[in-house]
Amino acid sequence: MSLKSYSRQRAIHVMLVYTGGCNGCDIEIVNAVLSPKIDIEQYKVFLTWNPREADVLVVTGPVTYHNKEPLLKIYNDIPDPKLVIAAGSCALMGGVYKNIYGDIPSEEIEGPVENIIPVDAKVPGCAVRPQDILAGLISVLPNLLNSD
Amino acid sequence: MIEEKIPNPNGELIETEISMGTVHPAALEPYRVRFFVEDEIIQEAEITIGVNHRGVERIMEGLPVEKANALTEKICGICSNSHTWNSVLTAEKGLNIDIPERANYIRVIMGELERLHSHLLYLAHGCEVLGHETFSMRIFYIRETVMDLLHMIGGNRVQYGVSIIGGVRPRCELNEMRIQKVESGLDELEKNIVNFSERFTSDPIVNSRIEGVGYLPPKQARKLAVTGPSLRACGFNYDLRTEMPQYDDFDFNIISLDTCDVKANLLMRVLESFESIKIIRQAIKNLPKGPIADRNWEMFDCDFIKSYIEVPRGICYHSFALEDGRVRGSVIRTPSMANIAAMQYAAIGNHITDGQLCIVQCDPCFTCTDRAFEIIEL
Repeated sequence: MSLKSYSRQRAIHVMLVYTGGCNGCDIEIVNAVLSPKIDIEQYKVFLTWNPREADVLVVTGPVTYHNKEPLLKIYNDIPDPKLVIAAGSCALMGGVYKNIYGDIPSEEIEGPVENIIPVDAKVPGCAVRPQDILAGLISVLPNLLNSD
Repeated sequence: MIEEKIPNPNGELIETEISMGTVHPAALEPYRVRFFVEDEIIQEAEITIGVNHRGVERIMEGLPVEKANALTEKICGICSNSHTWNSVLTAEKGLNIDIPERANYIRVIMGELERLHSHLLYLAHGCEVLGHETFSMRIFYIRETVMDLLHMIGGNRVQYGVSIIGGVRPRCELNEMRIQKVESGLDELEKNIVNFSERFTSDPIVNSRIEGVGYLPPKQARKLAVTGPSLRACGFNYDLRTEMPQYDDFDFNIISLDTCDVKANLLMRVLESFESIKIIRQAIKNLPKGPIADRNWEMFDCDFIKSYIEVPRGICYHSFALEDGRVRGSVIRTPSMANIAAMQYAAIGNHITDGQLCIVQCDPCFTCTDRAFEIIEL
């Protein structure tokens, strides 16, 4: 393990991007990282709002038309190596919003997230449980730590 | 986005613009705000939404009414139960369904638990924006008690809507064990909130940050049709719960404060939490026996039905017509729609560092507010 990975595993920075869901997943994720009950921070996972500091990008929501550009921009700003976690059923498959106009292709919803950026881990649930976020994060961490 | 400078009252253009968004760290939800600043004092504020429009009303169109009710839950992750409740009430009003007493009590209990969780979330968010992380953490800790109760009754932490047409879901029946858990949870919650509010109101640093900031004149609040706790923090003694037949059996006070600033808004939520606890205690004490759902109802066509209820952020409006058991012409209006104008107005005249605080003071939920609307020029 390189020195870089050695230090990175003691400070995993998670960035949360919200792309137009119902707000439920976001509160649960912030809750999971910050709040004293589940408190992922004790495992050295921190929440950041700066893409240049982040290692892991957590995306929630079916990506709406206006949110596609910002999402791509944020993804490109994160330095390599990086991981993407899609959290919640909207991010996985568009949720209830995907089929908005029936058979006619939707102009509002660009999602699921997979269509726009590569996804490493998928966390299901509507809304996601805080424990699942932690499990999803841990399942892909080796990819991040062994990448260099 | 249209980029244009806004003139100040003297007719000169305000040169300095500080804009945030649409994705910004300080705000969880995507929205765009532009502050026009002179000497670090906000002269004009503008909030633009529309980034996360998904069109729930369009999806509801033509769905069977039961499915449409379940869908309204996904409008907002914070007041999910209230949207389901109001949508179900709309259908019940049109189809003339009387629900059992017990079902109504369970709905009220869930509605008040949701108010508690929403108000505590507001306090936590407010304290975080203030820069006081310790208070924020403390309230997130207190809030977990409510989340556990919601999880126990509704089966999920966020999307836990209990109402179906004719009553409540069978899963949400309150048995002896659940009632005991709710009671002990409420005791713990009350103790924690009392401790927190004593600590909060006696903190001189926090008080100096929030006193007199974000002043919204009562006259302006009325003009902008502000609803909910934000209206009550401006001195108006108005709460739709007093007019709702669902709340007839319960005895509670309407809290109103008249300092119209961020402090009034924050204290408002603390004081309303105690009223909610009072209502839940009454509901549990007098919980009637009997069935929790009335399944003997018939579907028939009906014209547009309107329903208003008081949700944690203000007055929520649902309306639709029924045709062959399917929803037609659904219209939803959420309380934040009215409060956006108040946020813009409250920010004017404050220091730029308090700009975010002034927006947060009106409890914004841009996710549920993002609806398509048509502007008609007369």
